[in-house]
This record gives sequence, C-alpha cells and structure tokens, in this order.
Amino acid sequence: MPALAAGLSLGEYARSLFRRLAALTAVLVTAIWAIGGQGYFWPAWVWLGLAVPVLLDFTAGWAWRHERGAVRRVACVWALVSVVAVILLLTWILTWLLAGVHEFWPAWALLGLATAGSAYSLVALHDRVLVARGRRALRARIDMLTRTRRQAVDAQAIELRRIERDLHDGAQARLVALTLQLGRAELRASDQPEVRRLIRDAQREAHFAIAELRDLARGIVPPLLADRGLVAAVESLAARYGRGTAIQANTRRNHPPAVETAAYFVIAEALTNTVKHAAARRSWVRLSDEHRALVVAVGDDGCGGADPQGSGLAGLRARVEALDGNLTVQSRHGEGTVVEVSIPCGW
Amino acid sequence: MRVVIAEDLALLREGVVALLRENGIEVVAQVEDGPGLLRAIAGHEPDLAIVDVRLPPTFSDEGLRAAIEARRRQPALGVLVLSQYVETAYASELIGENTAGIGYLLKERIGDVRAFLDALTRVADGGTVLDRQVVTQLLVPRDSSMDALTSLTTRERDVLELMAEGRSNTAIAESLVVTPGAVEKHITNIFSKLDLPACDDDHRRVLAVLAYLRVAG
Repeated sequence: MPALAAGLSLGEYARSLFRRLAALTAVLVTAIWAIGGQGYFWPAWVWLGLAVPVLLDFTAGWAWRHERGAVRRVACVWALVSVVAVILLLTWILTWLLAGVHEFWPAWALLGLATAGSAYSLVALHDRVLVARGRRALRARIDMLTRTRRQAVDAQAIELRRIERDLHDGAQARLVALTLQLGRAELRASDQPEVRRLIRDAQREAHFAIAELRDLARGIVPPLLADRGLVAAVESLAARYGRGTAIQANTRRNHPPAVETAAYFVIAEALTNTVKHAAARRSWVRLSDEHRALVVAVGDDGCGGADPQGSGLAGLRARVEALDGNLTVQSRHGEGTVVEVSIPCGW
Repeated sequence: MRVVIAEDLALLREGVVALLRENGIEVVAQVEDGPGLLRAIAGHEPDLAIVDVRLPPTFSDEGLRAAIEARRRQPALGVLVLSQYVETAYASELIGENTAGIGYLLKERIGDVRAFLDALTRVADGGTVLDRQVVTQLLVPRDSSMDALTSLTTRERDVLELMAEGRSNTAIAESLVVTPGAVEKHITNIFSKLDLPACDDDHRRVLAVLAYLRVAG
C-alpha cells in the first residue's frame, strides 16, 4: 500500500481509493456506451450518481475545518445546501440536454434551500454578531477613556504649574510687600519699643507664611523644572546628591508637563532612596527618547534589596501608570538597584 | 547711590522705591521686564540694579538672564537678584567669573529693611552677598567626603550662613545676639574645620566659603 507508506491515514486512503474508483467507473460506462452503439447518452446519469458522494465528502471536509460550535454547524448546513443545489442543477442540465426540458424547474427548490440556510445562519450566529458589536463598542470606549484620561492628566499638570506660578507671583509676592511695609513702619517707630516688638512679631508670622507657601509650591512643581525643563532640574537635583551621580541626558524633545513632572519625581525619589538606603559609591541617571516614550533609568552600585511594593515605589508606580507608563525595579541583594520608567508621550 | 529696579509687581516695586527714597537712595528708573532693564542701564548708568528673577513675558528666569547680560555690558554694575526661591544653579550662573558686585537674595529679605539696605550698599560697593539659603542648600550632606561640613555645630552653621551674606563680625553678632568675640571664635573654628585660609576681609571671606562649597559640590 504505497499511499499508507506515504503517511496517509486509513480514512484518507479509503477516500482517495473511492475517488479513483469513481473516475474509473465513469470512464468505463462511457466506453461501454460508445462500444454498445451509442444512442441515448445514459452514462450522464451514472456520472451524476458518482458525483454525489464525492461532492458530499469534499464539502464535509470543508465544513469540518471551521471552528467548533455555531460556525461549524452553519458551515455544515451550507455544505448540505450546496450539495443538494448542485445535484438539482446538474439534474436540470441533464434533463435539458437529454430530454429537451426548457423550463427551469429547480428555481423554487433553490430559493427554498437558500432561505432555509440563511434563516438558520441568522439564528445560529446572532450571538456572535452581538458580541462582535459589543467588542467594537468596548474598544472605542477604551480608546476614548485613554484619550480623555491623558487630556485630564495633561490639563491637571498645566493647572498645577499655573497654581505654582500664582503662589509665587501672587500670594507670596503680596506677603513680601507686606513685610516690606512692616519693615518701613518699624523704622519709623524706632522710639516705641512696644510697637516695634509687635511689628517684628507680625513680620515673623508673615515669614512663616512665605516659607510655607514656598514649600507648598515646590512640592507641586519644582521651580527649576517649570522654568528650565527636565534636564536642568535633574542636573540641579543630582548636584544636591553629591558628585557620585552621573547624568546622561539623551533627550531633546519638549515633553508634556505631566510627563516631565512624573519623571522628575521618580528621579528625586529614587536618588533619595539611594542616599538613604543603598550605601552606594556611584549612582547614575539616564534620560532618553525612545519610540514615542520618555525612558528614565536611575541606578546605583549599592546593596540592593529594595522592596518594589514599598510605599515610596508604589506611589511612583501609581503616578507613572496614570500616564500609561510602567515602572520596573531590579534590586537583588548585593547587586545595586535600577529603577526604570517608560512614559509614552507620542500622542 | 543710583539704582534701577526691575520688578513686575507694582505693589512691591513701589514699596521698594519708597523705602530707598526714604533712606536717601536715588531710584533712577523702574522697569517691568528684561529688555526694559537693559535700556534703563544704557540710559541711566546706575550703580546698582535690583532685579526680580521672574519677569514678563515668560515668567521663568528672564530677570536672571537680563541681569547676567547687564553685567556683561557693564562689568562695574552691581546686581542684586531677588527670587521667590533659592536655586544654587542660578547663584553659580550669576556669579560666573566675576564675583564683584553680586547679590542673590530671597525676596522676603526685603522685610528686614536694615539688613536689606546694608546688602544693597555692599553689592554697590563691589561686595558679594548670597542668601543664607544658598549655603543651607549647599550644606545638605551628600556623601562621605562631606564629613567636614556635617562636623560643624548648629551655631557654626548659622555663622557660616550669615558670612555668606557678606556680613561683618559685628553684624553677625547682632543678628545672633552674641558678642563679637564669640563670633570670632566660631569663625576661627569654621575655618579650621573646613581647612580654609583665615582672612578678615568680609568679601574675601564669602569667596573663600563659596570656593570651598563649589569644590565640595
């Protein structure tokens, strides 16, 4: 059995054998008709009979290749419908050619079959159509939520910078003007120690208010970040943490305020952790623009073992994830710590 | 003394102008932005410019840039930059190569009118005045090489900060309510702890401290 040796299963071998036998029979009956004096071309009916099982086998194979469930059931129905339709059409062709019937008698039967197949498909696939429509709606909604969240975060960042500026140039500047007027008053009251004392107390209170406003503004957006951008702010930050911090800034783009602020606070927190816990000799900060995202990495050669779920890192992760970014921490014991953040900013 | 003021907030600008006039200092021009400052300096040739860091239209560091440009055009001009916050990067940019006649103070120091007038005079005379917060920021312990700074006592740090403002021993003593003798002792201690060459001149003292901090930073 050469076919079995070629790796065909028994079923496939049987089907191939049947197809060959059918072809042989068709040739044989045609030969018998040709030898036996010809006349009425009866072998056509034999051909039709042989074609039916071959067609059925072929369409069943096609239907079976569909995914299980409703789709396969619908495919089976259409396979059956098409086999019956082909038989009807072939029969009509034969009656037309051999018996001279001119009327297209299978019309109603074909229409009925098509209607039944369509009705079955509609019922069986109804759920799938609904699910697909639901998915499309869901995807559109996710797109919209992503877009509007980003807009909200950007708007918030811009608003925070405005608040920072207003604190400095509004309330704080007015308090400075107030302390100046108090100072002038104090100069004039040089012969009244009681009044001078009261004025000095008032000035001290104003100084506390100014210092509080300044700390508040710095916590919102560090002034250097607002004035000079991310690289300058990070350089100033690193200078404060000593000579061991190397900065490698490979970024020229102007990033959205929300991205810059998040990146800045990540770097600030990571460097603070390095100073507090890592006992590191060297630390480094790398900033780079990569494929529609700002990538920030902060690392050191310290003791490692940072807890990625610790409150500081968790807070940073939340901040970064609000911008659809991600934060990873590598900190095995004795191998230093690397905090890497990627924040998309390409839309 | 002839002074130019660049400050965009009218309330504050007028307050400073009134204070200066009351104390016999001539205010030759009041401007609201950087280009205005450069024009006023060219026109009036003042001894001193008092400049706010944040000026219109960008409200970032226009004042600082204008002050540096003004110094480039007239190296003899004293410049006192006022800021709502202290940024050591700004201080070192402002100082640059030429340290004579430079001041960098927090805005709220205006309220201490005597010290403010004193600082004005020192800057106009070519002295260096740095806000004590600059020193505070530079003194944040960074790594083990900074042990010398952490070894300073609190009182010594107070004295160091006031020294950076270019104050004399007497002024430091008044401010901290101690005797001038005590201040001298603190200063000797600071200089020996930081391994700085001792010097009596107030201005050179500021520079010595700054040089140390810059090397350390």
